[in-house]
Amino acid sequence: MGLIKKLSVWIGYLVALLVAPLFFDSILAISILNQMTIAIIFALSYNMLLGQGGMLSFGHAVYFGLGGFLAVHALILIEHETVFFSITFIPAIGGIIGLLAAVFIGSFSTRKAGTVFAMISLGIGELVASSSLIFSDFFGGEAGISGDRTFGPLFFGFDFAQNIEIYYLSAVWVFIATIFMYLFTQTPAGRMANAVRENPERAEFIGYSARKVRFISFCASGLFAGIAGGLFALNYEFITEENLNAITSGRVLLMAYIGGLGYFIGPIIGAVILTLMNSLLSNYSELWMLYLGIMFLLTVMFLPKGFAGFIMMHQTAWVKGSLKQLAVPYLITGIPALLFSTACVAIIEMSASEEEVFHYLGMELNPHSIFTWVIAIIIVVASFYATRRSLLQLANAWESANEIPDSKDSES
Amino acid sequence: MLEVFIFATLNGLVTGLLLFMLASGLTLIFSMMGVLNFAHASFYMLGAYFAFSISQYIGFWAGLIFAPLIVGVLGALVERYGLRRVHKSGHVAELVFTFGLAFLIEEIIQFVWGRDTKNYQYPDLLDFPLFTLFGQEFSAYRGFMIAISIGIFICLYRVLTKSRIGIIIQAAITHPNTVANLGHNVPLVFMGVFGVGTALAGLAGVIAGPVLTTFPGMAAVLGSIVFVIVVIGGLGSLAGAFIASLLIGLLQSYAIASDVGMADFLNLIGVSFERSHPLNDLWTLTLPQVAPILPYLLLVLVLVFRPTGLLGKREE
Amino acid sequence: MSIILSLNNVRKNFGATEIIRGVSLDIKRGEKHAIIGPNGAGKSTLYHLISGRHNVTSGTIKFKDKEIQNKPPFEIARLGLARSFQVTNIFPRLNVFENIRCALLWSNDYRYSFWHLLGKQTELNEKAMHVLEQIGLKDKALYPSGELAYAQQRALELGIAVASDAELIMLDEPVAGMSHSEAENAVELIKRITQGKTLIMVEHDMNIVFDVADRISVLVYGELIATDEPKNIRANQKVQEAYLGEVATSA
Repeated sequence: MGLIKKLSVWIGYLVALLVAPLFFDSILAISILNQMTIAIIFALSYNMLLGQGGMLSFGHAVYFGLGGFLAVHALILIEHETVFFSITFIPAIGGIIGLLAAVFIGSFSTRKAGTVFAMISLGIGELVASSSLIFSDFFGGEAGISGDRTFGPLFFGFDFAQNIEIYYLSAVWVFIATIFMYLFTQTPAGRMANAVRENPERAEFIGYSARKVRFISFCASGLFAGIAGGLFALNYEFITEENLNAITSGRVLLMAYIGGLGYFIGPIIGAVILTLMNSLLSNYSELWMLYLGIMFLLTVMFLPKGFAGFIMMHQTAWVKGSLKQLAVPYLITGIPALLFSTACVAIIEMSASEEEVFHYLGMELNPHSIFTWVIAIIIVVASFYATRRSLLQLANAWESANEIPDSKDSES
Repeated sequence: MLEVFIFATLNGLVTGLLLFMLASGLTLIFSMMGVLNFAHASFYMLGAYFAFSISQYIGFWAGLIFAPLIVGVLGALVERYGLRRVHKSGHVAELVFTFGLAFLIEEIIQFVWGRDTKNYQYPDLLDFPLFTLFGQEFSAYRGFMIAISIGIFICLYRVLTKSRIGIIIQAAITHPNTVANLGHNVPLVFMGVFGVGTALAGLAGVIAGPVLTTFPGMAAVLGSIVFVIVVIGGLGSLAGAFIASLLIGLLQSYAIASDVGMADFLNLIGVSFERSHPLNDLWTLTLPQVAPILPYLLLVLVLVFRPTGLLGKREE
Repeated sequence: MSIILSLNNVRKNFGATEIIRGVSLDIKRGEKHAIIGPNGAGKSTLYHLISGRHNVTSGTIKFKDKEIQNKPPFEIARLGLARSFQVTNIFPRLNVFENIRCALLWSNDYRYSFWHLLGKQTELNEKAMHVLEQIGLKDKALYPSGELAYAQQRALELGIAVASDAELIMLDEPVAGMSHSEAENAVELIKRITQGKTLIMVEHDMNIVFDVADRISVLVYGELIATDEPKNIRANQKVQEAYLGEVATSA
C-alpha cells in the first residue's frame, strides 16, 4: 500500500512535468516552466544543506554559478568543435564542477555547523563572486559569457533550438535529480545527516564523524546545484556574475524557506511560488521585490515551517475528516485578510504611481484625490480590525477540528 | 612614498573607526541575544537616508541628532514585534529573519527615496581643509568623523564599565539566566540593547552618508564587511571587533593606495608571460584590484585556522 | 578473566584545577562495574575521558589493548564502546525508530553509504524493532522522540547506547530523575540488555549499585580510593569516611 502510494506520487510528478507545457503553451509560460525546473533542482539541493543537514549557507550560488560557467564554456567548446558530444549532457558537466568545488570548499567549511559554517559560506560566496569580476577572461566580467546550444551532434533528431525542446530536456533532468535527491534522504548518509543536524555530539558517540557526514551532504548538494547551473546555461545560453553572487544565494534561501525546510516537497513548492512571483508579478508591478520581502518576513514570523508546513498542519484534521469544519472559519478570516492586503497594495501602488489615473483590479482610481486615499485607508483599517476579530473564532474552530477524541496517544 | 603612507593610514583610520561604530552595535547585540543581525548595515543605511531628508528641511546638525534616534526606535520595534516572535524557532530562523529584513529595508528605501544616489552633503561649517600635508588636503569633515567615532567609544566604554545598566548588560552577556533570576527585565534590556545598537549604526550612517555616498546599495557595500569584522574579531568580543575594524580599514586603505601587482612580483623573480597567456588575468593582478576581496579572504583563513576569531572565546 | 579496559595513571586538568588525579583502573571482560562517589568527584569527567569527549592531560587508556586516549569519540565508539549520558542526549526531531536505527548503522557496516536504501534493509530494521521491543517502546516507534515522556526518553537513551551491540557499555546515572517504580523497571531493563556484556555504571542510588554491580570503584576528588567487591566496599573504612562525611556535610 505504502509503495503504491509513493509510486503514484512520483508518477503524478512525472505526468505534471510532462503535460504542463500542453496547458501553458505561450512563449512566456514555457520560459517560466523552464525557470521552474532550474529553480526546483537548485532549491532542493539547498535544502540538502539547510533542511536536512542543518547547515545555513549564504553562498550556495557558488556551486550553481561555477557549474553554469563551465557549462557555457563547454557549449563554446562544442561550438568550436574542440569536443564533440550532445548538449543534453551539459548539465552533467555543471554537476561535476559543482561537486569538485564542493569537495574542495567542504573539506574545510564543514568542520562546524551553525554560525561558523554560515560565515564561511558567506565569505566564500563574496570571495568567488568578487574574484569572478577580476578574472574577466574566464568569467567575462560584468557582461558574463554566452554560448549557443544548437551545435554538436543531434540528439535523436533534436537540435534544441526551441525552448519547448529544452523544457522537455530539463523535465527529464529535474525528474531524475529529484528522484536521486529523494533517495539520498533514505540512505544511511542521508539519515545520519538528519541525526547530525539534531545532535552532532551524540552522532559521534554512535560511530559517525559529524564532519564527514556534513561533508557528504555538502558534496551531494554541490553536485545538484551544479546540475541546476548547467540547465540554466542551456536555457539562457549565457551566464553572468549575478548567477554566483549573493543575490542568487539569497534567492535560493528564500525559496527553500518559504516552501518549507522540514519537508522534501517544501523547496519544490517554494521554487514554483517564487518563480511565478518573479515572472508574473514583475509584469504588473515594479514593486514586486518589496512584496516578496514582506511575504518572506511574514512567512518567517508566522509560518516557520513554510507553505509545506502549513499544508501538513491540516493532516490531523484531514485524517479525522473534520477539514470541512474549517472551511467557513477560513473564509471568515480570509475575506477581510484578502481585502486588507489588496487595500494595502493599492495604497502602496498609488503612492508610487505618477499617472493621472491609476488602474487597479479593473477600477480607475485617482491618486491625486484625497477621497480615494480616505476610502483606501478606511478599508485598510476596517479590514484589519475585522481580520483580528475573526482570529479567535478561527482558533476555536481549529481546536475543535483537531481535537483528539480519546486518549489514543496520551497513555501507553 | 611617505605621504601616500600617511594619507592611507588616516583614511584607513576613518574607515576603521566607522566600521567599528557598526561592529560595536552588532557585537553587543550578538553577545546579548546570540543573534547575528544581518540587517545591521540596513539600519546604517536608514540613518543616512533619514539624515538626508532631515538635512533637506532643517539641516545637517538636526539630522545628526534625530536620525539615529528614529533608527534606534525602529530597531527596538523590530526587536519587540519581529525578532522576539521568531526567537522560539531557533537561531537559524533568527538569522534568516534578519536576512529577510535587510532585503526588505533595501526595497523600502528604494520605494520611498528612489533608486538614484542622493545628494547628501556635509555642512559648510566643516567644508575646509583641516591641514595640508605634502600638498594634500585632509578635510575637516574626516577629522570630524574621527572625533565623533572616538567620542562614541568613550561614552560606550564608560556606560558599559561604570553605569548600573552597563554592569547588568555585561552580566547578561555571560549569564543571561542568572540576571533574569535576579529580577532584571531581560527582554527589556534586550530591546534596549537592540535599539542602542541600531542607533549606533544609524549614527554611523549619518556621518558616513556624505562621504561614502547615499544610495540603496550602501548597506550591501558595508554590510558583509561588518559581518566579517565581528567574526574575525571573535563573536561577542568588543576588543576583538575594535582590532579587526582597524585592521580591515587599514588593510583596504593600504591595498588601494599601493601600486604593486603580480607583474612587479614576476619581474622580481624574472618571469614574464605573453598577454595571450590563458592566465593573463592572474599575471596582471594588482593589489588595488584585490582590495575588495581581502576581508573575505581574511575571514575564510581566520575561520579555517581559528574558528573562534582573534579574541573570541565562545565557539558556536 | 581478561582485561577489557585499562586506565593507567590518567590525569585531567581544566586550567589550573586538577579534576582527575592519577586514576588507574582495570575493568574485566564481562563484569558489571559501578563507579560511585560524592558530587563533583569527577565521575562524569572520567566518562568523558574514556569515551573521547575530552582529551586527557596525561596517562593512558587502553580498550581491548589499543590506546584510545585523545581519540575522537567516533573512533572509540567504532571499537565497541558505547555510552549513555546523564542528561538525555537523543535526536529529538527524529522518531523513536530512527533514533535506534541510526545507532545501529555503523556496527552493521553501513558506514557513510549513500547507495543502500534503509527501507529495504530488512535485517537492520528487524534489529531496530527488536531493540525497541527490549526497551518497551515498540508501540512508540513512529513517535517524535523529543515528545516522549521523561522515563521513555531515558529508556531510549539507554536503547541508543546498547543498540550497537558494543562489548563495553557505559551508563551515566541511567535512572536519575525517575520515580521509584520507573527506576525499578529501568534496572530490570539494564540487567536484561547488558547480559553477557561488560557494563560500567555511574549511579547515586546505592540500592541499585549493590544490586547490579560485581565490583565497585569509589572516586573521591579525582582519586580512586577503593576498588573492590560490594561487601568489602561496604566495610571499607575510607569509603565510610568519604561517603558519610559527604552525606553529613551535604545534608
